[in-house]
Amino acid sequence: MKMKKVLAAILGATMTLSLAACSSGTSESETSSSDDSKSKDTKLTVAIWDSNQEAGLKEIMNDFTESTGVKVDIQVTPWRDYWTMLEAATQGGEMPDVFWMHSDQISSYAQYDDILLNLSDKIENSDKIDLANYPENLVSIYQNEKGDQLAVPKDIDTCAVWYNKKMFDEAGIEYPTVDWTWDDFREIAKKLTNPEKNQYGTAIKPGSYQESWYSTIYAYGGEVISEDKKKSGFDNPKTIEAMQLIENVIKDGSMPEYSVVAENNTEELMMAGTVAMTFQGSWMIPDLASSDFIKENCDIAPLPKGPNGTKSISNGLGWAASAQGDHTEEAWQLIEYLGSKEAQQKQAELGVTMAAYEGVSDAWKNSHPEFNMQAYLDMLNDAQAYPSSKNTQVWYQVLMERMVDSFSGAKPMDQVCKDFAAEMNQFLAEEQ
Amino acid sequence: MNNKKRKKYINRKRKEFAWGCLFILPTMTGLIILNIIPIFQTIYQSFFKTGAFGRGNIFVGLTNYKRLILDGAVWQALLNTIKYAIAEVPISIAIALVIAVLLNEKMQGRSIYRAIYFLPMVVAPAAVSMVWKWLFNTEFGLLNHLLESIGLKSVAWISNPAIAIYSIAAVGIWSVIGYNMVLFLAGLQEIPRDYYEAAQIDGANSVQQFFNITVPLISPTMFFVVVTRIIASMQIFDSIFMMIDTSSPALKKTQSLVYLFYRYAFVENNKGYGSAIVTLLLGVIMIITIFQMVIQKKWVHYN
Repeated sequence: MKMKKVLAAILGATMTLSLAACSSGTSESETSSSDDSKSKDTKLTVAIWDSNQEAGLKEIMNDFTESTGVKVDIQVTPWRDYWTMLEAATQGGEMPDVFWMHSDQISSYAQYDDILLNLSDKIENSDKIDLANYPENLVSIYQNEKGDQLAVPKDIDTCAVWYNKKMFDEAGIEYPTVDWTWDDFREIAKKLTNPEKNQYGTAIKPGSYQESWYSTIYAYGGEVISEDKKKSGFDNPKTIEAMQLIENVIKDGSMPEYSVVAENNTEELMMAGTVAMTFQGSWMIPDLASSDFIKENCDIAPLPKGPNGTKSISNGLGWAASAQGDHTEEAWQLIEYLGSKEAQQKQAELGVTMAAYEGVSDAWKNSHPEFNMQAYLDMLNDAQAYPSSKNTQVWYQVLMERMVDSFSGAKPMDQVCKDFAAEMNQFLAEEQ
Repeated sequence: MNNKKRKKYINRKRKEFAWGCLFILPTMTGLIILNIIPIFQTIYQSFFKTGAFGRGNIFVGLTNYKRLILDGAVWQALLNTIKYAIAEVPISIAIALVIAVLLNEKMQGRSIYRAIYFLPMVVAPAAVSMVWKWLFNTEFGLLNHLLESIGLKSVAWISNPAIAIYSIAAVGIWSVIGYNMVLFLAGLQEIPRDYYEAAQIDGANSVQQFFNITVPLISPTMFFVVVTRIIASMQIFDSIFMMIDTSSPALKKTQSLVYLFYRYAFVENNKGYGSAIVTLLLGVIMIITIFQMVIQKKWVHYN
């Protein structure tokens, strides 16, 4: 009997903590494909998170394989699991050879010298890559404190408004132009709302921060985080003013019920013909452009203006390589190719994303001539760097929680912003 | 018993023990490496402020536990977890037992029915959650469509903080009935037919037979199912992770302890605090399981 008790206790304990084993389990499956180091033909594993880009990138990588003989295997892990995977792989010493890096995460990887391959010397000796060809703030995101370059910019993204032309026509409203303001946006959203037809002006949710309300904050002259990354911008009166505009759009009834907004992605609501205007990042274009409904009814407009002009949050991914891998030389060759003008241009032409390489994105516009893609390119002039700090996720997670309270109408926006600013300041102080 | 015989007996026992050990060796090795060592590592880690990638850990004593005690979200999550377990375990067991009894009778297509009830168990939990998420959708979901077509108001199944955890529990019940049923079927087949025949001669109807013969005699199986299901339901994670978006107003009232553990350990990279949360869960499950061990004498009948 006693033995049984002990066994049951152990059973309970192991079932609880087998969770802990999961984290090391993920890396096991990754290893299989990178094991053939001794065979003649090298194979690089490449990790990305956006399946929309897989086909285009595969085509670009095929060119690389053709010219060098190095094979490439692209593995897609969805964004939600990507960083868990990469962290476990890093800890287990089984990182993919080449992978995407994001501004949210770079600082935790950059604090150690033996995780990401240091590309500085290689870039200096390269005739294909000159960092002057990429936007400066994008280049500097991917540097460590010593100024070593740890990733080569892959792309750049901006945000814009997608609107349903038919709904505008029916309401007799002119399509948005470059001059429209956030106040215009509020008025138009109100006019386009018709609950009887289950039609609403817009849908903005806490989770669409990068595309929508972060842009509002900067357009009003506010900020999410101070430039030295030591203070929250949420107690800035201008930030609060911007967030109150969003609150007013919600109070006007221009959005579907909050449960509907929360349960669906904004692009889904757009495709279902429920909302007239949504905010979408340029990375969403492959998804949106494949919908017949969108092709038939929708087009793209620039973001509205605020007192501080138009501001589009702009971010860009980087190509980074593992410093631990067996194929660092080949990995560098691949990154060098992916960052070159030739591959960047092809990336734009195929419509995968806008190029990080300056001046070649015009080709991207022609990948979908049926839409006003120029709106996204114009936003590059009004780009606002994606706000992040050393440990962005820590305050971001809480920000999402607090914003749910105000977006759902449970708490007034100014109160939520002020309270959150205090919390965020505390997190930022702990980061230092 | 003379000495020689006794020696022989002891020798045989020893041999059996050695063979027994050999046979469980593969399982034990896996268990120790994959489960038992990580348990202690996790508890150890909960006393540290962890750096990224398992480097630069700083010993901080009970700081993580102090934070945990003051963290309202943790206690809310514990409450959510318990609510889920209370909703899922008894209902899934009751339904599974009734189905098992019915499917234990001789009838046509018995194995087809058994297979159908077991099907949800073989589908990946993530896929199950995705389908249910669509069914539950307030605006476009099939459930609300049906409600509206018979003139009822639609319900925010997974966005209303008051009911979302029970919607998730409903999915849990649906998924686990088949598994419980198979265990009960095995238990039912252990019960000798004579008891039922004797009861029939005494004039007992089938309801009386169920409560006076089936229920007491199946109690060892029932005990096993209750213990393992409570442990599993306390670890609920995947359906919450898949069905409740971070923008959902119901997240606070549905996130379980394991969900919080995931958020802190993997999203925020605070493995130390995550470990403290999961150690709390370990403690809670231990206490519940020990309590069950103690009270089993009152209701479990071993033959």
